Amino acid sequence: MPHVSPDYLLIQIFNGLVNGGFYALLALGLSIIFGMLRIVNFAHGAMYMLGAFVAYYGAELLHLPFFAALVVAPILVGAFGLGLEVLLLRRLYALDPLYNLLLTFAIVLIVEDAMRLAAGALGSPYATPDLLAGATNLGFTEYPTYRLFVIVVCMIVCAAVYFGIERSRLGARIRAATEKPELTRAFGIDTSRLVSGTFAFGVALAAFAGVLAAPNTNVTPTMGDTVIINTFAIVVIGGLGSILGSVVAGFALGVIAAVGAVLYPPIANTLIFIVMVLVILFRPTGLFGMAERTA
Amino acid sequence: MNTSRSLLALATALSIPFATAMPLSVAADSGPIKIAVITDMSGVYSGISGQGAVEATKMAVEDFGGSVLGRPLQVDTVDHRNNGPEAAAKAAEEYDNGAELAVDLTNSATALAVGAVAKQKHKLEIVTGGASSALTGANCSRYTYHYAYDSYALAHSTGHSIASDPNGKTWYGIVPDYAFGKAMLSDFTAAIEPEGAKFVHEDTYPFPTTTDFSSYLLAAKESKAQVLGVLNAGADTVNVMKQAKQFGLDKTMKLAVGLMFLSDVDALPDVFAGSRITDSWYWNQDKAARDWADRYTKRVGNGSRPTSIQAADYSATTQWLNAVKAVGSVDADKVQGYLDGRKFNDFYAHNAEWRARDHRVTHTMIVVDVLDKSQIKEPHGWYKILETIPADKAFRPESQSTCNKDW
Amino acid sequence: MIAGRRGALVGAALLAAGLVLPFVPGVYIVFAIDLVCFALVAVAFDILLGFTGLLSFGHALFWGGAGYVVTIAIARGATSFPLVVLEGVAYAFVLSLAVGALSVRRSGIYFAMITLAIAELQYFVAFQLTDITGGENGLPVATRGTLFGLSLENDHVYYYLVLAIAAVATTLAIRIVTSPYGAVLAAMRENESRAKSLGYDIERFKLAAFVISGTLAGLAGALYSVGNRLAGLDAIDWHTSGAIVMMTILGGIGTIYGPMIGAAIFQSLDFFVSKTPIGDKTNIVMGLVFAIIILIARRGIVGELMHRLRPSVVLPFDDEEPVLDNPILEGHA
Repeated sequence: MPHVSPDYLLIQIFNGLVNGGFYALLALGLSIIFGMLRIVNFAHGAMYMLGAFVAYYGAELLHLPFFAALVVAPILVGAFGLGLEVLLLRRLYALDPLYNLLLTFAIVLIVEDAMRLAAGALGSPYATPDLLAGATNLGFTEYPTYRLFVIVVCMIVCAAVYFGIERSRLGARIRAATEKPELTRAFGIDTSRLVSGTFAFGVALAAFAGVLAAPNTNVTPTMGDTVIINTFAIVVIGGLGSILGSVVAGFALGVIAAVGAVLYPPIANTLIFIVMVLVILFRPTGLFGMAERTA
Repeated sequence: MNTSRSLLALATALSIPFATAMPLSVAADSGPIKIAVITDMSGVYSGISGQGAVEATKMAVEDFGGSVLGRPLQVDTVDHRNNGPEAAAKAAEEYDNGAELAVDLTNSATALAVGAVAKQKHKLEIVTGGASSALTGANCSRYTYHYAYDSYALAHSTGHSIASDPNGKTWYGIVPDYAFGKAMLSDFTAAIEPEGAKFVHEDTYPFPTTTDFSSYLLAAKESKAQVLGVLNAGADTVNVMKQAKQFGLDKTMKLAVGLMFLSDVDALPDVFAGSRITDSWYWNQDKAARDWADRYTKRVGNGSRPTSIQAADYSATTQWLNAVKAVGSVDADKVQGYLDGRKFNDFYAHNAEWRARDHRVTHTMIVVDVLDKSQIKEPHGWYKILETIPADKAFRPESQSTCNKDW
Repeated sequence: MIAGRRGALVGAALLAAGLVLPFVPGVYIVFAIDLVCFALVAVAFDILLGFTGLLSFGHALFWGGAGYVVTIAIARGATSFPLVVLEGVAYAFVLSLAVGALSVRRSGIYFAMITLAIAELQYFVAFQLTDITGGENGLPVATRGTLFGLSLENDHVYYYLVLAIAAVATTLAIRIVTSPYGAVLAAMRENESRAKSLGYDIERFKLAAFVISGTLAGLAGALYSVGNRLAGLDAIDWHTSGAIVMMTILGGIGTIYGPMIGAAIFQSLDFFVSKTPIGDKTNIVMGLVFAIIILIARRGIVGELMHRLRPSVVLPFDDEEPVLDNPILEGHA
């Protein structure tokens, strides 16, 4: 093991929180969609990519500022997701959920290729907003301000969603609809709107993550590819359908992967999958998962 | 009932081969001589080569007169889609259907895959776009020539150029953890050491999953090294450069980029401005280059300027056609015998030689700084040439070649 | 359909098509070799999905992994074709045993995601071990080896060898799924708890199916790599796993012959579309075709054909009796 100074380790932990924040946001959206619809949204990474591109085109064509994009992109992409759910996914609810998994896989192919034709395969540049450029002195190091912003925003959004679902009336309805649907409908609550709304919201979360990623990452049509598999692993670790699980696993794995990469570099890409295998062996439903329904 | 259903099944089954039918294949010994441009038509390398490479090759064929040895010439476009087996299968099909030369091969994996096919079929492959030094090393072959550049040449030229300056002695390397990155690191190290320079530290990062380089860049800043060695390619280079500028590293360090082309700068000028790179050719480097570039731009019609690879495709095709004419045959063994050891000069390759030892085509290389938008004098005028590296210095010396020459 | 005289007739027809394929104008021999290999991997995949109901999204593990083992063996000097193929198949066998043991206890979504992630694990490992696998450049080799003294370099010779192997393997696959063992698999797929109550060790059966499927996929992948004289990262990429899923569904899950036809169509579309002017839009075309199949022709080509001809036959995943375990969606299914 290489000798690493405690300062460097601390920097890596912060980096891990940044990556973890993205994992958490994406896993959160995926989990919410799964919890309600029993769909594993393979297109989640593609939605993330669309969010980043909305930010890019917004800036290019309309001079849309970053902070506005954080609001506009989730709305636009969420609406797109809503369209997908109403027009396509809904038709397959009566069937084995694997069909929707496959349909979302087909959607990935179409969306990514369409984006490639529109934007080219090379990256599209997106600049860090001026307000957040540069570095902040954290005492042990100068750390990029934008990345601090990402950590804070991810934590706030995850907390808001978690408490929203646990505490609000809407959240209560969502939880009720997920656990006892017939009873919920018997109370006169329109579950179909909840379903569509949930899918749109999950997708919007992915798009939000995409906008956050745009300044630091190359915005390309395939940027979702690398992200989706890791997100799947996180969700399995946290427990499919568990919001708390997604958030905790996301941040935790982000930090573990960053620190692991420093202590033993060859393991960096595979650490998440190794952890996933261990979780499957010793705690099959995930860290916070509920007992598996006959999925 | 049973019979009709079985017949239906039979018909369904037998219709498949006909569903896959294509126009008749062409006999190999008469009919046109084909040149297959095997390139990436729509993916990440399409700007470097792609359609432009096809146009350049067609230009070469037309300038040559459109025919050789009494047979017409035909340029076939093959999209390898960055897939090794697909490139190999399509190359094999081309060779079997009258192609005598495969050119371009942007993407080292496809270059190697097609090289194996070329060797099998005794046909020639001239690689312009692929980077891997293995093409003239462990995977060298009688039937493969490596024409434009390779990772060794890039590292040596850029490394030497920066390290010979008093402000280029301490380097901080950002290295992707795969074959290309490791090769770049060892080549750069070997290049800068004779100048008394060295890497004070290298960060090897997980590839291809790393998109965020802040921690490495911060460490680079704190190391107070004079040069940032960006020893990667493609999307990684873009990310590193972007983030480096966010930290203001471009103001305090010299940015040495391992691999980059004119089309990359066209796509992302702000990202690449201020970096130093090596290329094999620049459209505005001298009058001959500019004249050719003007013809290319007029032909392509969208105002873009050719990259070094597109120019290399034209040059390689022309040289091959000259050889075929001189030898009086398209037979690969004869053409190869003619080319080995031959020296030549054209608008692309200066003081060039088809090196017999390992089929590395040597020529001069240029080290350039990339200008930013405010500094350029005309569209696409991104390069400022600092130094021309002579042919015998730019490439790996023959004595160091690892080619197991078996011809 | 696949059993009995009718099944034999279909099989014979496909074999006849295979014999004739290289002589069809416009069909290039290497493409034909690839086509037969993909047909075989689709059969392998169908054993798992069509008969056990388990959707593996990581079959590139076996297809590509065996391909690498074979190529590495040749690169290190092995010349015996049967021996190297055996090594590749052995690798697939052991790997499928390990991965299966890990994943068959889960079903449905979890199973798909686990297989996907483990395939990614193999991808990154192969990427790192550049000295062994060639890393991102792949591993080209110069020879296909010899079979009892017969050189396999001639493409036509190799094609007919692969066709013969595929025919034998497919016959074996059909024997398995139409055997009593296959009947148990089908029963498990239709009603797992009832099968369990009858005393069957569900996990053992699933594991066996997974191992058979994986090993056969490894055989196909080994033949493919030797055919192309090349092992590359795309063979172990999850997009290839996805392609295998698509071809099988396109052809018709649970029909064995269907996936073969699906593979042929999929490969043909892919190869030939990429040569046309819309060649750079191949992915969109494949995605649209697949989406349409999922939405309105789920039984796949052969499945739909069979449904018209013999409506009484119930295929796996047939939606005449929906499997509805999510009542919340009942209101708007």
